[in-house]
Amino acid sequence: MMMHYLQAFVFAFLATVAFGVLFQGPKRILWRSGLIGGLGWVVFIGLKELFSVHSFSANFLATVLIALVSEIFARIWKEPVTVFEIPAIIPLVPGFGMYRGMNYILQNYVSYGNEVLLGAAVDACAIALGIMMVSGVFRALKTGSDMASQRQQDLLGTDIASDLYVSDPEDED
Amino acid sequence: MIKNTNSEIQQQNAMSLPPMTKNQVMDLAMDMGKILLKSGAETSRVEDTMMRFCRSYGYYDLNVFCTPTVIILGDESPRGKSRVFRVRWRATDLGLIMDVNQLSYNFRNWNMGYVEIKRWLQERLAQSHPYGNGVVCVASGLGSACFAMLLGSASIYNFAAAFLTGFIAMTLLKMVNNFHPTPFWENFLAGFAIGIVAQTCCLVSPYCTMENITVGALMPFLPGLAFTNGVRDYMAGDLLSGNSRIAEAGLFALSIAIGLAFALKVWTWGGLP
Repeated sequence: MMMHYLQAFVFAFLATVAFGVLFQGPKRILWRSGLIGGLGWVVFIGLKELFSVHSFSANFLATVLIALVSEIFARIWKEPVTVFEIPAIIPLVPGFGMYRGMNYILQNYVSYGNEVLLGAAVDACAIALGIMMVSGVFRALKTGSDMASQRQQDLLGTDIASDLYVSDPEDED
Repeated sequence: MIKNTNSEIQQQNAMSLPPMTKNQVMDLAMDMGKILLKSGAETSRVEDTMMRFCRSYGYYDLNVFCTPTVIILGDESPRGKSRVFRVRWRATDLGLIMDVNQLSYNFRNWNMGYVEIKRWLQERLAQSHPYGNGVVCVASGLGSACFAMLLGSASIYNFAAAFLTGFIAMTLLKMVNNFHPTPFWENFLAGFAIGIVAQTCCLVSPYCTMENITVGALMPFLPGLAFTNGVRDYMAGDLLSGNSRIAEAGLFALSIAIGLAFALKVWTWGGLP
């Protein structure tokens, strides 16, 4: 039991590190994103196997966890969020469902293939929803002086442009 | 009243920095945007970085518009110039994104002028893509193998077969990379190679599971980056970029699926099991 989850963690960790190398991530972030990826995957299969949660909810909760930990890591080490998030989200992508749906359709079981493909699409939507919610919340929390001054500048102003203010129209070059 | 506050902010911001003309600031902002977009950052990050850089020098009338294929840096003031950069080929380099992001937050403390920042960017660009083709191919194989183990019925045969499949597919892609194929044909080729190699592995050893090997080997080619960036762009309010990124992800997934289906069909037509 414990062994099963340990094995899952180790392989998810290694897979995430490999994807980090594929995306040319520097060495200092590889183990951090690997940690997040392993954690997300263990939570995903734990929810599915121990609590028999539906695959949509399991995907959603695991993605929320991954995105949250990525945002926290990004604030600790002052790096962009996507650097941790992109390799870590990859193990959750529903490749298995896509492949099986396609295979069933090729073997002329079209309606069953459609059902499996739709399930894969719903899982992808769950992942998108998780990323969206967390990044939206953290975007709303980000109220530095940067954003404040930016908002002030977006107000409309109708000042006279100094280099257009000429008394005689002939002067304008 | 707004005018007063603005000029105060502008003075405070521009006070502690080495002086720079508007053209120099535009040039540097454009360089940073190019590097970020070409190494696979979200468009909202590109826009934020460029705007922050321009505004910290007090040029509040510069505006940026960015989609996955173009960057436009325009000047609102009457006699302003604008700059356009068209992006055709994008790669992925998380290290470059991280370092340019560091620069955009820290250049105040580093106290660098135009020449220094330009030189810093050149040096950093010379060290881009730290892992060579060999390392990337092995990483692709390792990722495939580990993912095949995650899918259940873990065995050493599946591990070895998935490693081989992922490795061969990525090596093939790197070999045709010099001919600059369009992304559709690249992914089609990857799917085709995966299908053929996985079927061969199953033919050779009866202990291999076709599903696990194929899905594991597909993983490095799935557009996870485009998908994540598209969703994040939606949330940042860049609807145009979000749409085009999601469309890109869908197109890539479809092209892999078509390649794989083609390989399976060819295998059946050849009369093989």
